[in-house]
Order: sequence, then C-alpha cells, then structure tokens
Amino acid sequence: MNIPKKHLFYVLAITSSFIAAAVTGLDSFVGGQNAFKHDPWAFAFSIFFVGAIVTLLISLFFSIRLHSKSIGAKVLDPSFTRVRLIQKTELRNHLAAGLMNAVNTVGYCAIVSTIQDPSVILSFSQVVILYLLVMESITEKDVPTLVEVQSSVIVTFGAILASISLNGEFQLMSLAIVFIIINPTWAIFSIYQRRLKLMRIRNKPNDAINIRMWNVFFSLLFTSLILLGFDLATHGGHLLAGFQAVLNPYLFLLLAATMSITFFSYVLYIRSLGLGKASINNAIRASTIIFAIPFSILLVYLGVINQFSTDPVMLVIKIIGITLIIFGIVSFAFTVVKAYIFITIKPGKPHKEIMNQLWDIKGITHVTVTAGKYDIIVKVSTRTLLKGYERIIRKIEEIPEIEKYRWASVLRDWENI
Amino acid sequence: MISAYILITMHPGKTDKAIKEMRAISNIVKISIIAGEYDIVIRAQVKNLEELLEVTDKLQVVEGVSKTTTQIIEKEISVQ
Repeated sequence: MNIPKKHLFYVLAITSSFIAAAVTGLDSFVGGQNAFKHDPWAFAFSIFFVGAIVTLLISLFFSIRLHSKSIGAKVLDPSFTRVRLIQKTELRNHLAAGLMNAVNTVGYCAIVSTIQDPSVILSFSQVVILYLLVMESITEKDVPTLVEVQSSVIVTFGAILASISLNGEFQLMSLAIVFIIINPTWAIFSIYQRRLKLMRIRNKPNDAINIRMWNVFFSLLFTSLILLGFDLATHGGHLLAGFQAVLNPYLFLLLAATMSITFFSYVLYIRSLGLGKASINNAIRASTIIFAIPFSILLVYLGVINQFSTDPVMLVIKIIGITLIIFGIVSFAFTVVKAYIFITIKPGKPHKEIMNQLWDIKGITHVTVTAGKYDIIVKVSTRTLLKGYERIIRKIEEIPEIEKYRWASVLRDWENI
Repeated sequence: MISAYILITMHPGKTDKAIKEMRAISNIVKISIIAGEYDIVIRAQVKNLEELLEVTDKLQVVEGVSKTTTQIIEKEISVQ
C-alpha cells in the first residue's frame, strides 16, 4: 500500500498502537494461566525467551528475497535487507535499550503481582509523554513548542482518565514503581530506539526489523540476569519456573502468538520513531487505550476477563478521556510547518559532504542534489517557523560551503496524485 | 527512474484552476503551493528524459503558468 509520506508517521504510530491494543488482551489471557498467575517474574522471563526464538524466525522469514527485494522491505520497512549482526557503533544504544526494556518489564510484572487492579496504577504510565518532553529538551537540545506541551498534557490526562478504573486499591508503593521505574525506563528505551533508527548503517538508514530483533535478545539477557540476581538474593525459583513454563507446548504456543503480534507493533513503533520525536510518538500511541475497548468487550464476552464497570460516572470519565486523546493527536497532526530550501553551493565544493551535513540537521526530511539553477533542494518539516529558524536556518548558515539559500514555506500540498 | 523538481512561477489569480489541470497530468507525484521566489513546486517521476519533457510541455500550456525551471535529482537522502 502506498501511504503519502505526510501521513506515514501517524499511520505507523496508530497502526502500532492498534496492534498493541490487540495484544494486550492476549497478554492478559496468557498472564492469567496457572503457571504465570502467581509468578509474573517467570512470565517476564518466558515472554522474552520465547520472544527471542519467534522474533529470530520472523526476521529470517522477512530476509527471504523476492524480485531483488526482501519480503521485510516490501511489507514492513523499506530499509531492511536481511538479518545482520549489530555494528560496533550500535552496541551502546542496544545495551541501553535492552536494559531499559528488561527493567521496565520486571517493574510492570512487580505491579501486576502486587495489586488487584493494575489499571488504577498503570494508567499513570501515560505520564511518560511528559518525561519524554523533558528528556528530549536535554538530550536532543530540542525545546518543545507550546503546541507540543499543550497537546502532550491534553493526551496524558486524557489517557489517565480513559484507562483508570476505580475498582482496585491505590497503593503508594506501586505508584512509586510507575513513576521511578516504569516511566523513566520506557522514556530512555524510546530515546535509544529512536537513536538506533536514526543511525545510518552501511550508508543506508537503519532498519526497524534488526533493531527489534536485537532489542529482544538484549532484553532476554538482562531479564535473565535480573531474575538470577533476584533468585539468588531471595532463594526464589522464578528463573527455573520460567524455563519450565516454556517447556509446556500450550504455553509456548500462547507466548509465541503474543510475541509474534508484538513484533509487528514494535517494528512499526520503531519506524515511526525514525520519523518523529519519541514524546509525540508516545502521545499518538495513547490511542491504544481507545483501541483496547473493543478488544476488552470481546474478552469479557469470551469470559477471559471480568466484567468491567458500566457505572455512568465511569463511562462519562472514559468518554472525556477519549475525547481529550483524540483532540491532542489531531492538534499534533495539524500543527506542522513544511518548507523547501533552495541552496546554491560555492564552486568546487564536494556535494556529498554538504549533503551529509544537511542530513544531520534535525527537521530536514529530504536532501536532494540537483542539476539546474540550484545545487541542493532540501525539504523541511518543523512545528513552528521560529523552530525552523533556530534549528535549521542557523545550522545551514554554519556550513561555510553554502553560498546562498532561499526558504519557501509550503502553503498546501498534494501527494500521490 | 528519473525524479525532478519543477519550479513554477504563476501569473496572479490563476493558481486554483491551474492546480486542477496539473493534478490531471501523469507522472506528477507531488504538488506544493509555496510562498517565495516561486509559486508552485512539482515533483515528477519519469522513466526517461523524453517523458520529463512531456511533463514540462504539458505544464507550460497550463493557463496561468509564466515560467518553469527544471531541477533533475541526481542523488537523494530521505526519511523512510
């Protein structure tokens, strides 16, 4: 399917959240099995153990070439060629993302095991959007615009309202785990996954399939180490219980199903991280809460989960929450400034080097070397004109080989005509 | 495949009608109305230079088009 590039970011993030919503239902069914019901730690290990096998098999399948292109490049990520070893430059980012994913999963399991209704506490994990806004302003030197802050706050509070349930207990310890472990680890995980996606490997953009595959491997490694340490310290047997669980063919198949679907959700999420900031990606992913509603109704109908509250007050709160999420996402989607910059290079200067320097500027989405009146035409996408000046024009002016440039704001455009 | 940007200067007051006609021309993949030195940027994707000539010929007879400047893309990096 040919998706217009201006919509690609939103299509990827929303499709990813739709798949995530579908897998949430399956997750709760798998987590409710006897082997995992009273041992969520074993569940965390099993999910990554089976996940590593399944992810490798899916990635190998996507490496098969059809008409000079891999299946993965045709259906999931055009940058994907085949399964490959990680490069030295990627290792640090993979280690950080793997560790964060493992700690996040263990933290999640700790909450699920201690409280009756996790939605009371886990709805606060949506605050991660605000964590990311702060982190990005430090790590990417990218101060959020007023629209980004407003929309993020709207989506965050909307997501909390839409996902909260008033049935369970409100435990301070669990809330502390969300704010101190779950939110920061997810935020750092997202930032490192985005860094990996923005890297260029063998002069091509990094691909989401290899990033996901290696993340599962590193998450398995760190989860095993965390559980081993925990077992040794508490004389527990969670790691062994996890091993025993995956030997059960029925449980293996269930875990394989959930991790196969999760693979697609994550690959699309990583691809969208390459197109937009992690905070905005997570804000759009809050739509998972909306998509989860039909799946929850289906699970209640099938008797997998208990009937949820139909108290009118709760329904009104949820409707307000959903409305806020939709308004926040729409606000993100419609506040983008696009422009072309027509550039003339000083005679005798190497175009390739200047092209790479321009590509490194955040907000530039296309760099083309052209033959004609101008030497290079770049396309820019930014939230405000002020940001376009501060983040792009200032950086362009720092490139000494550029003789002159002309900025032309896009007023309206049509794609795939 | 050859890709090119065609930069167009328009006579005032004819843009809306011209865009409608341009959208009917084959091999045009993107049209942007811009503010600045030019009025419209078109991205065309063609098999050979002859097809590109056909596109520019068709654009030049669209009512309101004053001048076209063609920039052939030699190399490109873009988000995927």
